[in-house]
Amino acid sequence: MQLARIDGTVTATVCHPSMRGCRTVICQPLDAEGRDDGPPVLAVDPHGAGLHQRVFFTTDGSATRDFVRDPHSPLRNFVLAVVDAPTGAGSQR
Amino acid sequence: MRLGHVIGTVTLHTADEALKGGNLLVVQPFSRGHFAGAPMLPLAKGNTVVVYDNLGAGLGQVIGFTEGAEATMPFTYPIPIDALNAALIDSVSYNPPAA
Repeated sequence: MQLARIDGTVTATVCHPSMRGCRTVICQPLDAEGRDDGPPVLAVDPHGAGLHQRVFFTTDGSATRDFVRDPHSPLRNFVLAVVDAPTGAGSQR
Repeated sequence: MRLGHVIGTVTLHTADEALKGGNLLVVQPFSRGHFAGAPMLPLAKGNTVVVYDNLGAGLGQVIGFTEGAEATMPFTYPIPIDALNAALIDSVSYNPPAA
Protein backbone atom coordinates (compact mmCIF):
# COMPACT_ATOMS: atom_id res chain seq x y z
CA MET A 1 0.00 0.00 0.00
CA GLN A 2 1.07 3.56 -0.63
CA LEU A 3 0.11 6.68 1.29
CA ALA A 4 -1.18 9.36 -1.10
CA ARG A 5 -3.18 12.54 -1.35
CA ILE A 6 -6.12 13.01 -3.72
CA ASP A 7 -5.25 15.89 -6.09
CA GLY A 8 -8.02 15.64 -8.65
CA THR A 9 -10.24 13.43 -10.76
CA VAL A 10 -10.28 12.18 -14.34
CA THR A 11 -13.25 11.31 -16.52
CA ALA A 12 -13.18 8.88 -19.45
CA THR A 13 -16.26 7.69 -21.29
CA VAL A 14 -14.40 5.34 -23.62
CA CYS A 15 -12.55 3.00 -21.30
CA HIS A 16 -12.25 -0.58 -20.22
CA PRO A 17 -15.63 -1.78 -18.84
CA SER A 18 -14.11 -2.54 -15.44
CA MET A 19 -13.46 1.17 -14.91
CA ARG A 20 -17.11 2.11 -15.25
CA GLY A 21 -19.13 2.85 -12.13
CA CYS A 22 -16.18 4.11 -10.09
CA ARG A 23 -14.44 7.45 -9.79
CA THR A 24 -10.93 7.66 -11.19
CA VAL A 25 -8.85 9.91 -8.96
CA ILE A 26 -5.39 11.40 -9.28
CA CYS A 27 -3.29 10.23 -6.32
CA GLN A 28 -0.09 12.03 -5.41
CA PRO A 29 2.10 9.53 -3.51
CA LEU A 30 3.50 10.93 -0.25
CA ASP A 31 6.57 10.02 1.80
CA ALA A 32 6.52 9.50 5.57
CA GLU A 33 6.76 13.25 6.22
CA GLY A 34 3.82 13.97 3.94
CA ARG A 35 5.87 15.50 1.13
CA ASP A 36 5.17 14.71 -2.56
CA ASP A 37 7.06 11.60 -3.63
CA GLY A 38 7.11 10.92 -7.39
CA PRO A 39 4.64 11.65 -10.18
CA PRO A 40 0.85 11.44 -9.72
CA VAL A 41 -0.82 8.08 -10.35
CA LEU A 42 -4.41 7.30 -11.28
CA ALA A 43 -6.46 4.99 -9.11
CA VAL A 44 -10.06 3.81 -8.90
CA ASP A 45 -11.80 5.17 -5.80
CA PRO A 46 -14.90 3.49 -4.35
CA HIS A 47 -14.92 5.52 -1.11
CA GLY A 48 -15.53 8.96 -2.54
CA ALA A 49 -12.46 10.44 -0.89
CA GLY A 50 -12.47 14.22 -0.94
CA LEU A 51 -9.96 16.56 -2.55
CA HIS A 52 -6.60 16.72 -0.73
CA GLN A 53 -7.71 13.88 1.51
CA ARG A 54 -5.07 11.30 2.42
CA VAL A 55 -5.71 7.77 1.29
CA PHE A 56 -3.97 4.44 0.95
CA PHE A 57 -3.95 2.94 -2.53
CA THR A 58 -2.71 -0.49 -3.52
CA THR A 59 -0.57 -1.26 -6.57
CA ASP A 60 -1.52 -4.90 -6.59
CA GLY A 61 -3.36 -5.84 -9.78
CA SER A 62 -4.94 -8.97 -8.40
CA ALA A 63 -6.49 -7.12 -5.47
CA THR A 64 -7.86 -4.57 -7.91
CA ARG A 65 -9.29 -7.25 -10.17
CA ASP A 66 -10.99 -8.86 -7.17
CA PHE A 67 -12.39 -5.51 -6.17
CA VAL A 68 -13.84 -4.58 -9.56
CA ARG A 69 -14.98 -8.21 -9.90
CA ASP A 70 -13.51 -8.46 -13.39
CA PRO A 71 -10.69 -10.98 -13.91
CA HIS A 72 -9.89 -9.23 -17.19
CA SER A 73 -9.45 -5.73 -15.80
CA PRO A 74 -6.20 -3.96 -16.73
CA LEU A 75 -6.42 -1.80 -13.63
CA ARG A 76 -3.70 -1.91 -11.03
CA ASN A 77 -4.30 0.80 -8.43
CA PHE A 78 -7.32 1.30 -6.27
CA VAL A 79 -7.97 3.27 -3.12
CA LEU A 80 -8.15 0.86 -0.20
CA ALA A 81 -8.70 3.25 2.68
CA VAL A 82 -9.23 6.89 3.54
CA VAL A 83 -6.91 8.09 6.34
CA ASP A 84 -8.70 9.76 9.27
CA ALA A 85 -5.89 11.02 11.47
CA PRO A 86 -2.28 10.01 10.89
CA THR A 87 -0.50 9.00 14.12
CA GLY A 88 3.20 8.33 14.75
CA ALA A 89 6.31 10.16 13.59
CA GLY A 90 4.95 12.08 10.64
CA SER A 91 1.67 13.02 12.28
CA GLN A 92 2.33 16.70 12.90
CA ARG A 93 2.15 17.49 9.21
CA MET B 1 -2.51 3.85 -14.54
CA ARG B 2 -0.65 6.86 -15.99
CA LEU B 3 -1.71 9.65 -18.34
CA GLY B 4 0.10 10.45 -21.56
CA HIS B 5 -0.22 12.25 -24.91
CA VAL B 6 -0.28 10.19 -28.09
CA ILE B 7 2.60 11.59 -30.16
CA GLY B 8 2.92 8.92 -32.84
CA THR B 9 2.23 5.40 -34.02
CA VAL B 10 4.36 2.33 -34.72
CA THR B 11 3.90 0.17 -37.81
CA LEU B 12 5.32 -3.35 -37.80
CA HIS B 13 6.39 -5.28 -40.87
CA THR B 14 6.29 -8.65 -39.16
CA ALA B 15 4.58 -9.11 -35.82
CA ASP B 16 3.36 -11.68 -33.38
CA GLU B 17 0.00 -13.11 -34.38
CA ALA B 18 -1.57 -11.84 -31.15
CA LEU B 19 -0.87 -8.20 -31.97
CA LYS B 20 -3.45 -8.15 -34.77
CA GLY B 21 -6.61 -6.17 -34.15
CA GLY B 22 -5.02 -3.18 -32.48
CA ASN B 23 -2.31 -0.63 -33.15
CA LEU B 24 0.75 0.60 -31.35
CA LEU B 25 0.91 4.18 -30.16
CA VAL B 26 3.94 6.20 -29.17
CA VAL B 27 2.95 7.94 -25.92
CA GLN B 28 4.78 10.57 -23.88
CA PRO B 29 3.74 10.40 -20.22
CA PHE B 30 2.47 13.54 -18.51
CA SER B 31 4.61 15.94 -16.59
CA ARG B 32 3.12 17.71 -13.60
CA GLY B 33 2.48 20.74 -15.82
CA HIS B 34 0.40 18.63 -18.20
CA PHE B 35 -1.77 17.49 -15.31
CA ALA B 36 -2.39 21.14 -14.55
CA GLY B 37 -3.56 21.71 -18.13
CA ALA B 38 -0.43 22.80 -19.99
CA PRO B 39 -0.52 22.22 -23.80
CA MET B 40 1.08 19.07 -25.21
CA LEU B 41 4.23 20.88 -26.37
CA PRO B 42 6.81 21.09 -24.89
CA LEU B 43 6.66 17.39 -24.12
CA ALA B 44 7.62 16.11 -20.70
CA LYS B 45 11.07 14.71 -20.16
CA GLY B 46 11.27 10.99 -19.51
CA ASN B 47 10.89 7.78 -21.43
CA THR B 48 8.41 7.48 -24.25
CA VAL B 49 6.20 4.41 -23.98
CA VAL B 50 4.84 2.26 -26.83
CA VAL B 51 1.28 1.36 -25.88
CA TYR B 52 -0.97 -1.28 -27.44
CA ASP B 53 -4.29 0.31 -28.26
CA ASN B 54 -7.63 -1.18 -29.25
CA LEU B 55 -9.75 1.83 -28.31
CA GLY B 56 -8.70 3.89 -31.31
CA ALA B 57 -6.84 6.84 -29.83
CA GLY B 58 -5.78 9.58 -32.23
CA LEU B 59 -2.69 11.76 -32.40
CA GLY B 60 -2.49 14.35 -29.65
CA GLN B 61 -5.16 12.62 -27.61
CA VAL B 62 -4.78 12.11 -23.85
CA ILE B 63 -4.99 8.46 -22.84
CA GLY B 64 -4.75 6.51 -19.60
CA PHE B 65 -2.49 3.52 -19.99
CA THR B 66 -1.61 0.68 -17.64
CA GLU B 67 1.74 -1.07 -17.55
CA GLY B 68 3.12 -4.40 -16.48
CA ALA B 69 1.37 -7.76 -16.35
CA GLU B 70 -1.99 -6.04 -15.91
CA ALA B 71 -1.76 -4.86 -19.52
CA THR B 72 -2.27 -8.44 -20.70
CA MET B 73 -5.25 -9.17 -18.43
CA PRO B 74 -8.05 -8.13 -20.84
CA PHE B 75 -6.87 -10.69 -23.39
CA THR B 76 -7.86 -14.34 -23.27
CA TYR B 77 -4.79 -15.35 -25.28
CA PRO B 78 -1.11 -14.74 -24.53
CA ILE B 79 -0.03 -11.35 -25.89
CA PRO B 80 3.48 -9.88 -25.75
CA ILE B 81 2.66 -6.38 -24.49
CA ASP B 82 3.42 -4.54 -21.28
CA ALA B 83 1.51 -1.29 -21.82
CA LEU B 84 -2.16 -1.05 -22.76
CA ASN B 85 -4.41 1.90 -23.52
CA ALA B 86 -7.20 1.49 -20.97
CA ALA B 87 -9.05 4.82 -21.33
CA LEU B 88 -9.48 7.78 -23.64
CA ILE B 89 -9.46 10.67 -21.22
CA ASP B 90 -12.19 13.30 -21.57
CA SER B 91 -11.24 15.71 -18.82
CA VAL B 92 -8.61 16.08 -16.15
CA SER B 93 -9.39 18.19 -13.10
CA TYR B 94 -6.19 18.61 -11.14
CA ASN B 95 -5.85 21.02 -8.22
CA PRO B 96 -3.08 20.17 -5.80
CA PRO B 97 -2.96 22.15 -2.52
CA ALA B 98 -1.03 25.40 -2.71
CA ALA B 99 2.57 24.48 -1.77
